[in-house]
Amino acid sequence: MNTRVLFVSVVTVGALALTACGSKGEAGPSAGSGDTLTLGASVSLTGKLAREGTLTQEGYKLCVEKVNAKGGVKVGGKTLKLAVSYQDDTSKPDTAAQLVDQFNDQGIKLILGSYGSANTEAQAAVIERNNQVMVDSSGADDKIFAKGYKRTFAVLSPASEYAASIVKALADLASPKPTSVAFLSADDGFSKTAADGGVAAAKAAGFTVTGPELFPNGATDVSSALNKVKGSAPDVIIGSVHLAEGVAIVKQVKELGLKPKAIGETVAPPTPDFVTTLGAAADGVLGSSQWTKAVSGKDDYFGDASAYDADIQKAFGHAAGYHNAEASAACLALVLATEKAGSTDPTAVRDALAALDVTTFFGRVKFDATGKNVTKPMVVIQIQGGKAVTVWPKDMAEGSLVWPALGS
Amino acid sequence: MAAEQLRYRPTVRTATPWALGVLLVAAALALQTQLYTGQARTVTAIFMYVALALSWNLIGGYTGYASFGQVVFFGIGGYFTAVAMTHLGWSFWVALVASGLFAACYGALVGIPLLRLRGHYFAIATLGMAEGTREIVTNLPELTGGGGGITLPTVGAAATTPYLGNDGFYVLFLALAAIALLVTGVISRSKFGFALRAIHQDEDAAAAIGINTTRTKVVTFALSGFLAGMVGSAYAFQQVTIYPERLFDVEITVLMVVMVVIGGSGTVIGPVIGAVALQFVSEWLRQNYTDIHTLLLGGIIILAVILLPQGLANYVREARRTGEYSLLANVRRYRL
Amino acid sequence: MTGFLQAVAYGLLQGGLLALVAVGFSLVWGVMNVVNLSHGAFVVLGAYVGLLVNQRLGLDPFLGMFVAAVALFALGYVVQRFVINLVVNGPIFITLLLTFGLELLLTQGMNIAFTANYQGIQTTYAGTSFAVAGVQIPVGRLLAFVLSVVVTVALVAVMNRTRVGMSIMATGMDRGAARLMGIRARHVYALTFGIAAGLAGMAGTMIGMVGTFNPASAGGFTLLSFVIAVLGGLGNMYGALAGGMLIGLVQALGGYFLSGTWVNALAFLVLILVLMFRPSGLVGKAFYSARLEV
Repeated sequence: MNTRVLFVSVVTVGALALTACGSKGEAGPSAGSGDTLTLGASVSLTGKLAREGTLTQEGYKLCVEKVNAKGGVKVGGKTLKLAVSYQDDTSKPDTAAQLVDQFNDQGIKLILGSYGSANTEAQAAVIERNNQVMVDSSGADDKIFAKGYKRTFAVLSPASEYAASIVKALADLASPKPTSVAFLSADDGFSKTAADGGVAAAKAAGFTVTGPELFPNGATDVSSALNKVKGSAPDVIIGSVHLAEGVAIVKQVKELGLKPKAIGETVAPPTPDFVTTLGAAADGVLGSSQWTKAVSGKDDYFGDASAYDADIQKAFGHAAGYHNAEASAACLALVLATEKAGSTDPTAVRDALAALDVTTFFGRVKFDATGKNVTKPMVVIQIQGGKAVTVWPKDMAEGSLVWPALGS
Repeated sequence: MAAEQLRYRPTVRTATPWALGVLLVAAALALQTQLYTGQARTVTAIFMYVALALSWNLIGGYTGYASFGQVVFFGIGGYFTAVAMTHLGWSFWVALVASGLFAACYGALVGIPLLRLRGHYFAIATLGMAEGTREIVTNLPELTGGGGGITLPTVGAAATTPYLGNDGFYVLFLALAAIALLVTGVISRSKFGFALRAIHQDEDAAAAIGINTTRTKVVTFALSGFLAGMVGSAYAFQQVTIYPERLFDVEITVLMVVMVVIGGSGTVIGPVIGAVALQFVSEWLRQNYTDIHTLLLGGIIILAVILLPQGLANYVREARRTGEYSLLANVRRYRL
Repeated sequence: MTGFLQAVAYGLLQGGLLALVAVGFSLVWGVMNVVNLSHGAFVVLGAYVGLLVNQRLGLDPFLGMFVAAVALFALGYVVQRFVINLVVNGPIFITLLLTFGLELLLTQGMNIAFTANYQGIQTTYAGTSFAVAGVQIPVGRLLAFVLSVVVTVALVAVMNRTRVGMSIMATGMDRGAARLMGIRARHVYALTFGIAAGLAGMAGTMIGMVGTFNPASAGGFTLLSFVIAVLGGLGNMYGALAGGMLIGLVQALGGYFLSGTWVNALAFLVLILVLMFRPSGLVGKAFYSARLEV
């Protein structure tokens, strides 16, 4: 009887695997053939990054809509309709990498990044091996770009700028100038890189620095870290965090009776949920953002930043967050480079991306030798009356910094 | 006497499973020629789970000790390899075996105290052990890179072993799955295997008939750790960059349990069937129903559990013996 | 010193909330021998119910939690009566697997119904705090803590004094004998699961009030419940309270004294030590060890 079972399973393995994947003869290269250009995107639709993953997908969707509204992608005399093949990587780096391989099988060589540094880093290694090319919309950890990869390009500013920009904004704008800063950080690679960048900037600006104190990525209780910095009564608390920890910091600073003049956080404050979750408690919090609707620059597809905001509002019923914008910008960069290359060949597109220098609704997009977009500044916002108001850099400011930021 | 029956007699009947095992591996190798490299990678993930499910089956299925921290072996196997290759410049192949041994030693070490616990207490203690180990790995950033992950040297001069590529990993994971299958097959037919089943059924009675239960359990735990540790090692090399969050993910343990239970626990072939079926179904759902795939997977698991609570392999075996093929009869048996 | 006291106070309050999350899980495990992996999903679902009635009807979370409790009770009753009861006599893995499937289903169901956005239930008072001898006591957490204690005491009273409670306990101890006494085990099991789900719903509403949640939070709550239930002794309701507070304290104090995230390693070390030296839990005797399998 065991033998039967075995036999059955032999058959199932063979049959299942064959049907699952199709044989080599069937699946042909599909991207760039006919009159459609298909990009591959593994997005985190389920799992712990589902929130940001969904915003990323919205950004890609809007890009497809806008590009096709202009007729499509003009490649060497032909106009191709743009399409994106979406797969859910369930927020796991190994699946994200596996999906890039699957796209490669289908002949899809032009890839849009997943959400987050871990996923992007896993993908970048595969992209390099397969001679694909990827535009990364959200993997900001500087580590990704220190590995000599030639085929991954990020439209966004690197992680080291996230907390540093808040420090610079405070040094620039706050008066009376604060003297001490305490850093808190989630313990993932991206957040730690961001916190380290912030610490360096704070020391350079002459602040007294405490921390960074770490807590687990995704924590909803950060009281112990706050308790540790409470003794030094810092003027400013800067959290290098994602949304959940960012909300926890604001709530628990109040609960624990800390009285900083300001709280600054990476990633969390510009996200629409930040204000809806915290309500009035969000007021005064500073945040760094890759993009806001005050960013200057425009392009033929999206118009300027406020037009982009209106389009997201129309299509998805909420204000545009920078996760939307960076995704749309990544897609746009890939489209523009493909048009410039006049070919969908990944190596030609890669070279065009390396030489790309355009101004878009997202700001200037130009990559350095490692693939980072270093020309674009980070923007600092402050929540004022439930709205994210751009306060820094000065030339983009929509309003002035309220200081001290947290009342009292 | 029982001992007489236990002795290994190479007849056609006993030889058939081995032959089929070889056939299974041959079929998998033949399949590879038909796959694109990305598809090969997808199938590689199936092999990985086959090997992991088989490793869990030894301690959870045969011995009846539900290890809820089995992923710890996978994790420390992966991290041992990462650290050995990055900091010590070891070749991957040395690190692969060493990772297995390291995980086995770890298993023996924690197994000695933990295997005194039974049932739920063992389950929760192993879970705690796995989570605790992850935190230790996270908090040694000089060694392990901490939460930011560690990247294995696979390119340039630092690379100690050339990267295997999707085709190479296909063969590697297939080999690991085959080793796990072979180990399980040998144990299942050996006296040792019967000792495990005896412990599962009644540990005190097993001790009474002269089985050194502590030693047997610890050896089994270490062995299952060895298998899972090697899988973790291969996984780390394949992924290049690894993170504690993923290497010690509870979900991987849960998947092992799910696969073994769906396929049939305490059997040789059950975990293989379970791993293949579950991986296949979840992959298929993800590709075709991107928006609701885990919802569907949840529904399918619920149905499978209600209709086939004893697992496919055990169901087929019993149905053939009793001639009762009805799934409804199956439902009746565990119903309140 | 203030820092230390602050950590203690906060840990205790946090622990009380965790206990409320875990008590239902412990009850189900103790009485039915079911490890409910979907418990965290019930907690999150409760938080969503609390949020909905807060947004649509303006109900305060302390009223909304009753709505959540009733809704979750009904859901829990149905799930146990018509699904889990079908396999409840099987080995523990079977029910484990079933609830794992249920967890996937519920979590992505919520993902679709409510999106993955982070949410919080806003009140005017929950975020405020007052000082006692230099130690800040957050009002929302204090109220949640008090609730947790009250609910635990009430639950024990229900279990020991009422007919329903006693039939639940009796079924948990010896189902065969209980059935011979005319107890309808199917109904009692469904009631037990319903009560556990209802408590999870209340806990969820409280979580929503003091913190944030989204569907992906479910797994974390299940894991915590697991740990607390074992620390306290399965099925032991006061034990869950003690286990919750222990975990809260260990996390708060460990976080205060240790660097990085070593505190989490410490929490699990405590767990293993308790299991080694006091396997029936911190308080009294575990319900589970008294069980007769039928």
